[in-house]
Amino acid sequence: MIVLDHVAKRFDSHAALVDLSLRVAAGEVVALVGPNGAGKSTALRILAGVIRPTSGAAAIGGVDVVTEGYVARRRLGYLPQKLGVPPTTVVGDLVALVAAIRAVAPADAGHALAAAGLGARRGATVAQLSGGERQRVMLALATFGPVAALVLDEPSISLDAEGADEVRETIREAKRRGVAVLFASHHLHDVAALADRIVVIVDGRVAAHGTLDELAAAAGVLRGEAAGEAPIDRIYRVLVTRGRARLRLVTEHAA
Amino acid sequence: MKPRFPLLRFELSAAYRGRTALLFAFGFALASVGVALIGLAPGGALAVQGFARTSVSLLQLVLWVVPLLGLATGAIAGAECHELELVAALPLPRERIVLARWAAWTVVLSACLAIGFGAAGLVIGALAGAADGMRYLALVGIAVVLVAASLALGLWIGVVARSRARAIALAVVVWFVLAVGVDLVVIAALAILPPREAGWGLSLLLLADPVDSARALGLGLFQADAIAGPTGAALKRVLGGWGAWLLVAGLAGWTALPLALAGKRFARSDL
Repeated sequence: MIVLDHVAKRFDSHAALVDLSLRVAAGEVVALVGPNGAGKSTALRILAGVIRPTSGAAAIGGVDVVTEGYVARRRLGYLPQKLGVPPTTVVGDLVALVAAIRAVAPADAGHALAAAGLGARRGATVAQLSGGERQRVMLALATFGPVAALVLDEPSISLDAEGADEVRETIREAKRRGVAVLFASHHLHDVAALADRIVVIVDGRVAAHGTLDELAAAAGVLRGEAAGEAPIDRIYRVLVTRGRARLRLVTEHAA
Repeated sequence: MKPRFPLLRFELSAAYRGRTALLFAFGFALASVGVALIGLAPGGALAVQGFARTSVSLLQLVLWVVPLLGLATGAIAGAECHELELVAALPLPRERIVLARWAAWTVVLSACLAIGFGAAGLVIGALAGAADGMRYLALVGIAVVLVAASLALGLWIGVVARSRARAIALAVVVWFVLAVGVDLVVIAALAILPPREAGWGLSLLLLADPVDSARALGLGLFQADAIAGPTGAALKRVLGGWGAWLLVAGLAGWTALPLALAGKRFARSDL
């Protein structure tokens, strides 16, 4: 299970996350959506132990990610939005490292890489991979070993239609295996197709959350009646606009 | 079977593939052979002086080049720790990442030093015989200890500085202080203080500078007072026979303390 409990994060004077709480149960897929700078990646990076929350608590499988960071990460698969290793890193070295630390047999790691269509690219540096190849390698690494929670930041970015299908199938397969999946995405059609629940974040706060139907009702959008655009796009726009308006109201009230 | 030391292997591979090691190995070998061939030529004639005297010149080369390279390489490696988001998200204590980086670069740069010294050693051995060869090997040991300490200090600088440019700038400043600045202070102290009062204080100051510690160890190897510098001369006078062990312990401290500080700082840093 993934838990964020009243998590806030400040970078100097900038509040990247103000107050975020959410839970992802085993076998559940939750999507984080919101405009750029809303705090989606910050939330995921806190869960991965890459940055520390200013306040609040975050846990993976009941283990606090700050006080027992590396224990919590034993069963966490993480796909960062950034590269996450120097560009000169050799793919085979990276695969060997992650496989060894996650106690995956080298042969199984090789099969996973081959399944991602990258068996012949072991000797390439990360910089020599295309954007799509890089994303497939990173996704394969995130799913190595007995992970109980998957935290994916923009998993289908840089991917063509076929690659995006593979990502969707990876997430569905993880769900079938009982893995708790939390992913951030700007691809709203992926969100609509995959997520059991959706959390809309605006300026570091939760603007809305629920199932797609609940969000549609909250936004006043009937799923069959969004003329000229897909319902999820319309729902998203309404909720983000409303979240910003609410934030303005709160800020003005505080002032 | 689970591979042993996977993080060290990963870092070793990364360090080995970089151009830094190759360039350093080549440059140091060239400089070492150059020093061996002409550095101590008497009266301008081309002649090799045997291991002992040539080693004194090589020691000077080591004292200038090795700390600079160790500090700069460590600073870059330390700053790059902040780019390892994927590795930091693995189930590892973060301190281990810093330790693996230090160990990998120590191995690689030590291998480079061995190549440089080896090339010079072959030239000296072929032209002047093998006398004092063991002392020459001890000099290689001093260089390795110094590179380990410089790397640790550089890593700490890099982890704190975060950006490569800032880390390298800081490393150069620290190198200047250690290689030149401390001796300037000592020269000033010697000029002001009576010799008897200056002795112990200068010896302690020597422990506070890994470059001077290495210099004094080299002095002990070859009894070369001329190159000892003022702190080295003071140490020899004050510490006598057991001073070498104190210096080795000091250099070990210069390795362990910055490494511990770098690991602790990195463990608490946002990437």
